[in-house]
Amino acid sequence: MAGDKIESVKSLFTAKSAKVETNKGEEYYQNLYAQCRERLDNLKKIVPVSNNIKIKEAIEEEGVSRRDFLKWASATTAMLMLPASFTPLVAEAATLMNRVPVVWIELQDCAGNSEALLRSDGPTVDEIILDIISLEFHETLMAAAGHQAEKQLEDAIETFKGKYLLFVEGSVPMGINGQYGTLGAKGETFIDHLHRVAKDAAAIIAVGSCATFGGIPAAAPNPTDAKGVMDVVNGKTIVNIPACPANPSNMVGVILHYVLTGQLPELDSLLRPKFAFGYRIHDNCERRAHFDAGEYVEEWGDEGAKNNFCLYKMGCKGPMTFNNCSIVRYNEGVNWPVGVGRGCIGCSEPDFWDKYAYERPMANANIKAPTGGVEKSVDEFGLGLLTAAGIGIGIHAAASAIAGKKDNQGEA
Amino acid sequence: MKKGYKKVERMTSAMRIIHWINFFSMIVAIATGLYIAAPYYQTLIAEPAVDKYVMAWNRWGHFMVAIIFDVTSIVVAYLYFFSRFEKPYKKVLPTAKNIKEFFAVLVNLITLNRSKKFDSSHSDSFNTVYFTIFHLLLLLMLFTGLQLYVEGLESGLSSIGTWWPSMLHIATDWTIPFSHFLVGSSVQDATIMDVRIVHHRFMWLIIVWVVFHIYYQVWRTIFWQEGDIAIAFGGSKYVKEDKKAEN
Repeated sequence: MAGDKIESVKSLFTAKSAKVETNKGEEYYQNLYAQCRERLDNLKKIVPVSNNIKIKEAIEEEGVSRRDFLKWASATTAMLMLPASFTPLVAEAATLMNRVPVVWIELQDCAGNSEALLRSDGPTVDEIILDIISLEFHETLMAAAGHQAEKQLEDAIETFKGKYLLFVEGSVPMGINGQYGTLGAKGETFIDHLHRVAKDAAAIIAVGSCATFGGIPAAAPNPTDAKGVMDVVNGKTIVNIPACPANPSNMVGVILHYVLTGQLPELDSLLRPKFAFGYRIHDNCERRAHFDAGEYVEEWGDEGAKNNFCLYKMGCKGPMTFNNCSIVRYNEGVNWPVGVGRGCIGCSEPDFWDKYAYERPMANANIKAPTGGVEKSVDEFGLGLLTAAGIGIGIHAAASAIAGKKDNQGEA
Repeated sequence: MKKGYKKVERMTSAMRIIHWINFFSMIVAIATGLYIAAPYYQTLIAEPAVDKYVMAWNRWGHFMVAIIFDVTSIVVAYLYFFSRFEKPYKKVLPTAKNIKEFFAVLVNLITLNRSKKFDSSHSDSFNTVYFTIFHLLLLLMLFTGLQLYVEGLESGLSSIGTWWPSMLHIATDWTIPFSHFLVGSSVQDATIMDVRIVHHRFMWLIIVWVVFHIYYQVWRTIFWQEGDIAIAFGGSKYVKEDKKAEN
């Protein structure tokens, strides 16, 4: 217990900043280039683990031109904050994506992140690449069920021991010894399942807000005591890709970075890759000018809404949220929440459902008390306190007036 | 001057200047802060966004008074320990004398001046503790405010160099887990929104502080008949000479 306290005090004073270093100098990038070159040459020698789909063919089949692919490669290079000279390496890395085995498990979630990958109006390069990665296990997508599925997972863990990337989607219910969530023919709890698969993973990628920070299952009153992966698994390299759902571009970015450099991208204090979460939505928002001007949508569908005014008063949390939505958008740059006129709900921040997603400015929010249930507004709390102080003062003043002054009348 | 009364200096001109700078800064900070938290008036002028700049001016005003507040806080912190006039920290140390005085002043307030067993010519322990609470609240506003400010400078650049955001990160990043601790949640991970909630809630605590402060100084003026309200303006008050001699 004493150790816990010391740890919590330490953590109070050692929060890391989210500062982004966009230029690390010529020498750094030359070394990195050589390192990546070597890594890709080594990967090429490895025979693809289980699928032999070639990216070139896959892309042609889906009707994406080579030119589109190269455009995607240069955009992804920029997103990963690498110099333009890395573009050929990124394109090459994309063709070697099937050399990295991926195991994808689902816990307490809605499969929204899987859906985000699978459903779109047309396959984007990001999605094609996620199709050709060597996906060894994915509960929602696989044909096998029951004991068969278990067997497949065991085989995957055995074959790729210490080499596979583990993608986790969904939060971990910790309540009643994990009995809120069990899976498989053996009724294994989500906690045991996660620990078992995590043990031999090269790294864990937590995708979506549930797997990263607990997300919606962890919202007050958090009946299942849901937690994110990083609060459950210790001693493993973890990358968080929050958002609801996580942007497929960012998932591909992380895998591609791993394929290219053999390392995971630089992370911030919440273990989010800085290339994606180092930017504040607000600073690249197309409606920012309306924010500064004080032009706000006051009501859904009013004149302001028709004129694309700022959504701050409708509760947009762009000013408080770090994500690259306003830059890369969703579905290959088609649109994003502020673009469609409904504002940001801060879905990539911890505790977003209770602290961000209430669709009004923070000062007018009914933030739930930590004990759960009771809704209290910050302003009501303050006004209540002020009223209490005012009443106290009033009583004192009235008592003073009635009692009169005790002292020395007539002396002066 | 009334006969039998003696003038006592209580606030130097520097202290009074700081007092009134804080007074005006606080009014501006609250008015603009409430607008930033939830814009309470609409822009009516039919001009393009670029000409209005209403939120931007509110933020400008808020940051300007914040930085003035920060600087006066540094001066106040210095004077608290090293003032050549009166070192306030000596009055908050939990010595027997201070504790006795603290409760004597409190009893004086709740008995509506029926009992007055302390020397009211100098700054008393009760009021000094009360001012200390104010400056601690202000300090928390300062750190949380600067954290919210540096949050927007995520590029690490500023008009006065990269050292400034870096320094702010070192000085204020602890407010994120600290605010999370204050706000509380079923989720373990701290978020910048906790800092924003703390910054907003503590504004209300400061307003409550101010309400009592003004009330109490007026009450003293009326009940003690020593012209306490004049301290903030003229720097001095008057005490009966015989009383002064007693202590």
